[in-house]
Amino acid sequence: MPREQMPEFSSSVKLKYVKLGFQYLVDHFLSLLLIPIMAIIAIELLRMGPEEILNVWKSLHFDLVYLLCSCFFVIFISSVYFISKPRTVYLVDYCCYKPPVSCRVPFATFMEHSRLILNDKPKSVEFQMRILERSGLGEETCLPPAIHYIPPTPTMDEARSEAQMVIFTAMDDLFKKTDLMPKDIDILIVNCSLFSPTPSLSAMVINKYKLRSNIKSFNLSGMGCSAGLISVDLARDLLQVHPNSNAIIVSTEIITPNYYKGNERAMLLPNCLFRMGSAAILMSNHRSDRWRAKYKLSHLVRTHRGADDKSYYCVYEQEDKDGNIGINLSKDLMAIAGPLVLPASEQLLFLLSLIGRKIFNPKWKPYIPDFKLAFEHFCIHAGGRAVIDELQKNLQLSGEHVEASRMTLHRFGNTSSSSLWYELSYIESKGRMRRGDRVWQIAFGSGFKCNSAVWKCNRTIKTPKDGPWSDCIDRYPVFIPEVVKL
Amino acid sequence: MLLKEKTIMEDRVRLICKRTVVSTKPVEQGRLYRFSVFDHVMEPNHIRLVYYYRTSKTREPGEITKKLRESLAYTLNCYPIVTGRLVKETDGTEENRWKVKSNDAGVRMVEARATGTVEEWRRSVNREEELKLVHWEDMYHLPYYWSTFYVQVTEFESGGLAIGLSCTHLLADPVCAMMFIRTWADLTLTRNMMTPPLFHSLPPRRFTSHKLSNNQLLSHYIRSCSLTAPPSNVTEDRMVTTTLLFPDPMVQAGENEQGISPFEILSGLLCVCVSRAKGKRNELTDMSLCLDVRKLLRLDQSYFGNCMVYHKVHYSKPVTTKDRLLLLSYVVKEIHNVTKGLDYDTVMDLVEWLSSNNNNPISNGSDLVCINLENMANSRPMMFEEDLMLSHVSCYVEGPVAGGGQAIVLPSQLSEGPMSRVVMVTLPQREMVKVLEDELLQSFSPVLLMEYTKLLNQ
Repeated sequence: MPREQMPEFSSSVKLKYVKLGFQYLVDHFLSLLLIPIMAIIAIELLRMGPEEILNVWKSLHFDLVYLLCSCFFVIFISSVYFISKPRTVYLVDYCCYKPPVSCRVPFATFMEHSRLILNDKPKSVEFQMRILERSGLGEETCLPPAIHYIPPTPTMDEARSEAQMVIFTAMDDLFKKTDLMPKDIDILIVNCSLFSPTPSLSAMVINKYKLRSNIKSFNLSGMGCSAGLISVDLARDLLQVHPNSNAIIVSTEIITPNYYKGNERAMLLPNCLFRMGSAAILMSNHRSDRWRAKYKLSHLVRTHRGADDKSYYCVYEQEDKDGNIGINLSKDLMAIAGPLVLPASEQLLFLLSLIGRKIFNPKWKPYIPDFKLAFEHFCIHAGGRAVIDELQKNLQLSGEHVEASRMTLHRFGNTSSSSLWYELSYIESKGRMRRGDRVWQIAFGSGFKCNSAVWKCNRTIKTPKDGPWSDCIDRYPVFIPEVVKL
Repeated sequence: MLLKEKTIMEDRVRLICKRTVVSTKPVEQGRLYRFSVFDHVMEPNHIRLVYYYRTSKTREPGEITKKLRESLAYTLNCYPIVTGRLVKETDGTEENRWKVKSNDAGVRMVEARATGTVEEWRRSVNREEELKLVHWEDMYHLPYYWSTFYVQVTEFESGGLAIGLSCTHLLADPVCAMMFIRTWADLTLTRNMMTPPLFHSLPPRRFTSHKLSNNQLLSHYIRSCSLTAPPSNVTEDRMVTTTLLFPDPMVQAGENEQGISPFEILSGLLCVCVSRAKGKRNELTDMSLCLDVRKLLRLDQSYFGNCMVYHKVHYSKPVTTKDRLLLLSYVVKEIHNVTKGLDYDTVMDLVEWLSSNNNNPISNGSDLVCINLENMANSRPMMFEEDLMLSHVSCYVEGPVAGGGQAIVLPSQLSEGPMSRVVMVTLPQREMVKVLEDELLQSFSPVLLMEYTKLLNQ
């Protein structure tokens, strides 16, 4: 594989220093350019002496109209600049739902229920067992109460009550943490892919908290696991248009109505991996929030590749001829996600290698940007163990970088769009989040979409006393074996 | 005695749902727990308990059930054996015997609602209906998916609560099953576990193996463990159960000897009455006593596992007297000799014999079995919530160990006096009719708490 030679090459020490120097050069290009120029001007001015400066001044033939026009011009340019500058969007705070311990589902209980319900289909039970053994989940993940019954009762009522339980608890916590009054919410976005009742979940939230009648509410459904970042993107766009506003985003997945009772293997997969969870996020563009906000949104990239067949298969879950499940991540993934979120130096290198391949020699190895230089923390959607493994390999990340993702998968399972927030909470709970750190959140949505968000930490975050990890963070990280023998 | 016709009543108990309750903390995976010899010998039987609580406060339906379910999850943290599953594993030295693999699977819990109040229910039910308050499932084809414990919580619509617990006798005897409920109640009420269970093996083999020559306990087991088929007369007649409350058996019997307990008097009384009901003129019926030997073996009350032995009563003299009170007094003395005669060495002889020789479960044939649970009352009441008063406890033991008739002596929850006892008597219907009419029994002024219903065609 051509890639294997790249790490060897890059890891040689001399090259690393060269690379660091190059990165510094490009990142601070403008300032590196301006400083010498200003220094030269200053030296010139000092050399010239006051009379000579006055002479130069007089010779410029200033005239009132000319002066006024140029001042006006300068003011015009600067106001255009300030107005068209995008508003900074802050993430003030967020809360993740912690399910009650009575909803815990150990592997043995899951398998037993499966066996009791699918009594006449032992092969399906076998399949689920194999998935669970290799899933990377732990014994503390939670399913909603309706799925605990024998047989499960995935009714509409139960789904609604699960939605109320997960959403309202997370929002209550968020209100308490941020001292936000419900009446002050300007924008509400709820995303839940698989449960879309009438009236919508956002209407349910508005009804419960008696939000304002002129609130801008949105309910996104059917958009998969990457819907969380789609909601953030939507909030950002809205916050550009509305000054001095705040937005609440609720990301969740309601498990109850989707418990599959049939026999189709591909459809039994969600039963094994999806678990209960939700997150409520407060974003705003108030200037006053810049002191208390936790993060600032730097970039957000949404890529939808549904039109391209190759990308359709880019993240695709398949069963090979032995019946082993694998996630197929093709190399094109890098082409999709990479370039836009990298720092300028990496982008330049990537561009050069791209040009080189196109013009000179297609056989040149593709340049894999070193993402580790760009970010301090990574939050990879905990879609499954295979996804995290593949991404770790392709992005050449260390174990510590993907620790948040793996541990979230272990403790909470695949909570769909809210998993990114559990991972962020893990990093904060470990006390690793410092002011100025950059976080890259990557969410994949069923082979169609890859969404990325880059946040910059606004203030060093103290280890939180509450939150979903508060009672178990000391036990983590844990070693997760390849296969758990059931 | 009133003979009720069996009326076809509507099902007063309505099942709401069934689920599995797991502990709140994950268990240490893969641990295997072995059973003691007392456990193995009780394998084919199972226990069912019903606890009735009356209340003065009205509650939202489902509220108390939810609270109990959550506190049960916390209680199960201390009972990894209860949440595990049975496996048969050969591990070299041991033959193919049952073990518990602690895999964190949990216990089954059934939630139900019943019409009326607890008092109304108790006044009008018989055994079959009472058992509707305790869910039980026989072992599945695949024992690894079979829960060994079942809990049912039934809320009475007009007030009151019934908690049913059933379990296989392989894991527990009535004493530790009751202790389980006590621990659960304490945790629910005070958030504190006052008497957590102890899991360990029985005392080890003694260094000097002095076999007592006259070990009647051992001889009983040697005989009973080789009984394979139940005797023929047990299955002919239908077994019925009544519950009687004896307000003060000591006074009635006129016993003022030191050390005689109400259990001994009541067992003797039933022995005498059943013998007459069976038509035995100069003979007394065979009787076995089931006694808790935790204290004898110097084990704590909260030792979890089987620790009750069956001892046949030996009548040293033939029966000559016609005076029934004298007869009663004689029988009580014989029973007392049995209970006094049990000591550490006697029981350890049995334990050692069972470890080396025996693979069969015990059967009590057609004996009358008297189970002593009278010491299960405690000065501290067993409450789940402040205003839930325990009003009654029922206990059933089913399987070959139940013999040809059973008398379970329980403490009384009503404030009749410290010596009052509740006795659940199970006998073939023909004998039950005669026993309930017996004057000697009537002279103890028993109160009928639960009747049996006579079938019309008998």
